[in-house]
Amino acid sequence: MPSYEPILTKNMLTPGYTGSLVDYERAGGYQALRKVLGKIAPDDVTAMVIKSGLRGRGGAGFPTGVKWGFLPKDYTGPRYLCCNADESEPGTFKDRQLIERDPHQMLEGMAITCYAIGAETAYIYIRGEFVLGAKILEKALAEARAAGYIGRNILGTGINIEMWLHRGAGAYICGEETALLESLEGKRGLPRVKPPFPATHGLYNKPTVVNNVETLANLPYIVNRGPEWFASIGSPPKSTGTRIFCVSGHVKRPGNYEVPMGITCRELIFEHAGGMRSDKPLKAIIPGGASAAFFTDQHLDVKLDFESVAQAGSMLGSGGVTIMEEGTSMVWAALRLMEFFYHESCGKCTPCREGTSWLVQTMRRIWTRRGRLEDLETLTDLCQNIAGRTVCAFGDAAIAPITSTLKHWRHEYEELIRTAEAAGSAELVMPATRH
Amino acid sequence: MVKLTIDGVPITAPKGTLVIEAARQAGIMIPHFCYHPKLKWDANCRMCLVEIERVPKLQTSCSTPVAEGMVVRTATTAVTQAHKSVLEFILANHPLDCPVCDQGGRCDLQDFSHEYTPTTSRFIEVKRIFPKEYFSALIETQMNRCVQCLRCVRYCDEVMDVKALAPAGRGTMTEIKHFTHHELDCEFCGGCVQICPVGAITSRLSMYEYRPWMLKRADTICTYCGDGCQITIQTKENKLIEVNTAHGAGRNNGDLCARGFFGYHASTHPDRLQHPLVRRNGELVQATWEEALGFVAETCIRLKMEHGAEAFAGLIASRCTNEDLYVFQKFMRLAIGTNRIDSSARYGQINGVRALRRVQGTHRWAVTFEDIVAADALLLVGTNITETNPITGLKVKEAVKKRTATLLTVDALVPAVGTISNIANLAAHHFPVHPDRFGHVVLGLIKAVVEDGLVDQALAHRAPAYVQAIGDAVQALSWPALESATGTTSGALREAARIFARAARGVVLVGQGVLRSPGGYGLTTNLLDLLLLTGQHGRPGCGLAPLAEENNDQGAVEMGTVAEYLPGPCDLNDPTARERIAGLWKEELPKGPGRTLTETLEEARTGKVKAMFVVGENPVGSLPHAARAKDALAQLELLVCQELFLTETAALAHVVLPACSYAEKDGSFTNTEGLVQPVRRAIEPIGESRPDWEILSALSVLMGYPIEYGDAKEILKEIRSLIPGYGLLGAGPNPPRPDEAVVSRYLREGYAEDLANRYAATQPTEKRTGHFTLLVTQSLFHSGKFSTRSTGLLEIQNTGVLGLNPADAARLGVTDGDRVRVSNTLGELTAPIKLLERIPEGLAVFPEHFDEEARRLLGVSTDPQTRVPYCKSAQVVIEKL
Repeated sequence: MPSYEPILTKNMLTPGYTGSLVDYERAGGYQALRKVLGKIAPDDVTAMVIKSGLRGRGGAGFPTGVKWGFLPKDYTGPRYLCCNADESEPGTFKDRQLIERDPHQMLEGMAITCYAIGAETAYIYIRGEFVLGAKILEKALAEARAAGYIGRNILGTGINIEMWLHRGAGAYICGEETALLESLEGKRGLPRVKPPFPATHGLYNKPTVVNNVETLANLPYIVNRGPEWFASIGSPPKSTGTRIFCVSGHVKRPGNYEVPMGITCRELIFEHAGGMRSDKPLKAIIPGGASAAFFTDQHLDVKLDFESVAQAGSMLGSGGVTIMEEGTSMVWAALRLMEFFYHESCGKCTPCREGTSWLVQTMRRIWTRRGRLEDLETLTDLCQNIAGRTVCAFGDAAIAPITSTLKHWRHEYEELIRTAEAAGSAELVMPATRH
Repeated sequence: MVKLTIDGVPITAPKGTLVIEAARQAGIMIPHFCYHPKLKWDANCRMCLVEIERVPKLQTSCSTPVAEGMVVRTATTAVTQAHKSVLEFILANHPLDCPVCDQGGRCDLQDFSHEYTPTTSRFIEVKRIFPKEYFSALIETQMNRCVQCLRCVRYCDEVMDVKALAPAGRGTMTEIKHFTHHELDCEFCGGCVQICPVGAITSRLSMYEYRPWMLKRADTICTYCGDGCQITIQTKENKLIEVNTAHGAGRNNGDLCARGFFGYHASTHPDRLQHPLVRRNGELVQATWEEALGFVAETCIRLKMEHGAEAFAGLIASRCTNEDLYVFQKFMRLAIGTNRIDSSARYGQINGVRALRRVQGTHRWAVTFEDIVAADALLLVGTNITETNPITGLKVKEAVKKRTATLLTVDALVPAVGTISNIANLAAHHFPVHPDRFGHVVLGLIKAVVEDGLVDQALAHRAPAYVQAIGDAVQALSWPALESATGTTSGALREAARIFARAARGVVLVGQGVLRSPGGYGLTTNLLDLLLLTGQHGRPGCGLAPLAEENNDQGAVEMGTVAEYLPGPCDLNDPTARERIAGLWKEELPKGPGRTLTETLEEARTGKVKAMFVVGENPVGSLPHAARAKDALAQLELLVCQELFLTETAALAHVVLPACSYAEKDGSFTNTEGLVQPVRRAIEPIGESRPDWEILSALSVLMGYPIEYGDAKEILKEIRSLIPGYGLLGAGPNPPRPDEAVVSRYLREGYAEDLANRYAATQPTEKRTGHFTLLVTQSLFHSGKFSTRSTGLLEIQNTGVLGLNPADAARLGVTDGDRVRVSNTLGELTAPIKLLERIPEGLAVFPEHFDEEARRLLGVSTDPQTRVPYCKSAQVVIEKL
């Protein structure tokens, strides 16, 4: 098994490392902040991040430095940084580890970002269920504040950066950046229509950057070791750095693996995650969280970087890689994910609100052997009618499980329907919908 | 301007116009649910998708502004397919209960479904069903029909500033709810009912009673306040079914308040008088019109022979139409021969009109509702505008919320979140002062203007003596004294003065708290001084706006039904006007003096006045007991009342003549901003009732001085020939410009006569410990006593509840619903209380609509200049019962 130098997980992999400020400083923590504050012009920090090729680790993969550059230059009012710690994508659990085991790494990244974009206030919007993570972050914030890394007049430079932790209340949609901002403002967490983008009209209508935990955690290393170093890792020029893949499902060693971007699925599964848990062959891969389209065993050699995965018809997304072995029903798998999307649809846009409810009911019917052949056409149609017609990307994500399983495993649907027809049980009445 | 094409049609639209609006203006309707021109777009229904060239995905036309060279297509295969698919999604969970839905026949979903979808559905799953929940006595919700467009929620927040509604639940389980577990408690403006595109929110007052195509419509004007909202009364077989208003219609632009939306049943209350009544052997008994009118005419002729025309007096309600008012004063002046006429405009409106005439020579506002919306700084003095003039209040809200105007308020109420909106919540500077100290705040503002060099330079050149005199007067006031009287700092007053003086457009709204309170005339004049000094006077879009309480207060003054004016209004003793009117009437005008309401009552008491005509006015029921109106009227030899109901005053009458309500007659009302608007008959007269003018006209014939008209239009024609501003009805008002000659005269000498009085910071009466100031005020849910016959409004408020500050209540040991005894040397009352945070400590507020008992406690004082009776507050003691 090839071994790679971990970056973000290096500290936490060191035996005895607790994630406390002392440990973090001992490991070289907050040196990057000292290096930039007042010494490197904010615009140069942004330029450095652009040069590193760092792209967002939350799902969309937008170049981080470019995003910062969208903030209006001449605007004199307040600007904000929001750290998106609302990690809710099924099959994704990397941010949680980063928060719980090395919180200062991300705080330092946030401080550097605030400096680069000229924000004096930063909010961490953390998923409500991350109770332990919230406690750890509160403690880390207190430590950093006491040590003068955040607060007023940081390290005597006259720069002020305040950071606050805000806990979400259990809605997947609040991981969407504009819904996150609405929720942070105390409103119902519904996505906003873009444009305008948060860069110009964000939190409280002020210029705002929203970055993912993992994205921010990379920043101290880019500053310390230089953008050229970072850009040389992974599969340059477009997918640089490492990626923490959260491997779950039917593998021997599920867990987080930090590897350079661009390794193949095969390498990740068979060399890092220990291969399939039983000796059944691999059947399906979800390469980037529940919103990503399924891959089959034909895709094992697809490189895990933004471009290659997209080219193969899915997306790298949040880095949640779920493996399924032969024998798993793909209809069941799609239904399970549909249940999730139905439950989490915020209800703002008609196609997503009504569509997910319709899809999930039809899927349940097919799975319980009460399907009809024409249902497949309806499913395809409904998915098409949701795609691209909603305010946020949720609608597109919600249909991915159905469209991709229908594409690769249509025969499984047809088999269930044939069983239904043979048993004469095409009795369509369903028990009342569970809500 | 931006040029684009929509469906091949070249269109030019202002920058920032949304594609959906540009299309609408070009006659292309893009189907939509969540978009509404009143609201900020939300783009949630996804119905209005269109194709835009060079944009890959379909775009929502409600959220896309027009761009130069944009090519939009609204009827391509892809767009139609998108419309179909969105409708298919909406209909999936929709109950399709059109046959029992009140919206059926005017439902957007129904219309679009007919246009875009097949008659069958491929949805075979289980429909989502919300359990039925009781919402409110007036508003019904049927959430299964909801399309989650959130128009109701957004309207309640953006337009009304009430925020009573919210979506609850998530995804397909989203439903519209209010925030509490008890039933809905809000302003009940009916906006959610009106703006719902489907049948999810409907009115319970007319539930299941109609299909829209069965209804007969009459566009008329609401009678519940001075705002003059256009309403559409919908009737079926002469029954009042519902009231609504179309978006963009009238001065209210499609908005209404609870009174307008739910208050319409008052007209058809079973207590309405159906026949004339004549007093025989001490009892009022039913009579024919011939008997009743014959008796009145006969008695009038006899009394006129015995005592002369000066023994007659008349009183009319300014709820009547201009036509009624005009014929009334003509009848009194010609058929009877007296100028002893007054109307309910005397209660306060006259203060505003007199101040305007004195300073700027107009009797109307020099501003319009549009100017309020466009103002940069608004100063509201003595008005809880939400409750008295709700729709003018919406203009203020629009100015502040949508156009970021700066709001300054001076009122007794304090900012607090409640079930109804509170204009003070939107204020940049709110000066919460005791109701007898509004004047002190205004003096403080004028002092700050003078001291901080904010006086308009042009004015300083034009009228140095005036500026000097005012300057001297305010210099004589000390900041510490003003600060202690107002409880605010000079800094706050200076800041507010600076904001107002520097604003590009400043408007002052003055409400009942000033116009109906002691010193109201002087304070209104001072506010005009403030406008003059800051240069906010005489410029377009700037000026003073006294708020009328009754729907035709303004018309009553202009028709000459007040003691000091002839129609016009012209001064009673203005020889030119007298000559012109006499020429038109072909009859000499009476030479006798005018008499105001309180003077008339005094003359009745002393026996100088022997006979009175009272039209729609109820002095016994409106004035406090201390005014002794009942004693006065009981002295009369003839009291004729034209009324809808047997009021306290009508009960004393010798003859009661049943009159038509506004819903049964044609005519016109003049609203607070001076706009004359048509009133149209919606139902046939109740019983034998007749319009007031017709009754007077019939009497005049019997008395040998025929004042005859074929219909209300003929009267209006005569009014037009006499009074400017009564030409075109219904369009936007064309406000008068201040008369520069009058302004110059005021600046030269007019200001001086009462300057010392107006600029004296009278030492406010020390409040005695343990005493409360009782204010008898208008509630949002009623108007006078008329609305207390409306079943809808009684559902919201059916009894007099005393509003108290929670801290005061705690000290008294009482809480919501407990009864207290309120008393002073004049009398006492017991009432349940309600804790309201918007009421400051030391104040107790009681609705005037249920004030039978409360009126015992009030004293009366009269304005020395305008003879306005002030009777809205008293010092009282409150005890736990």
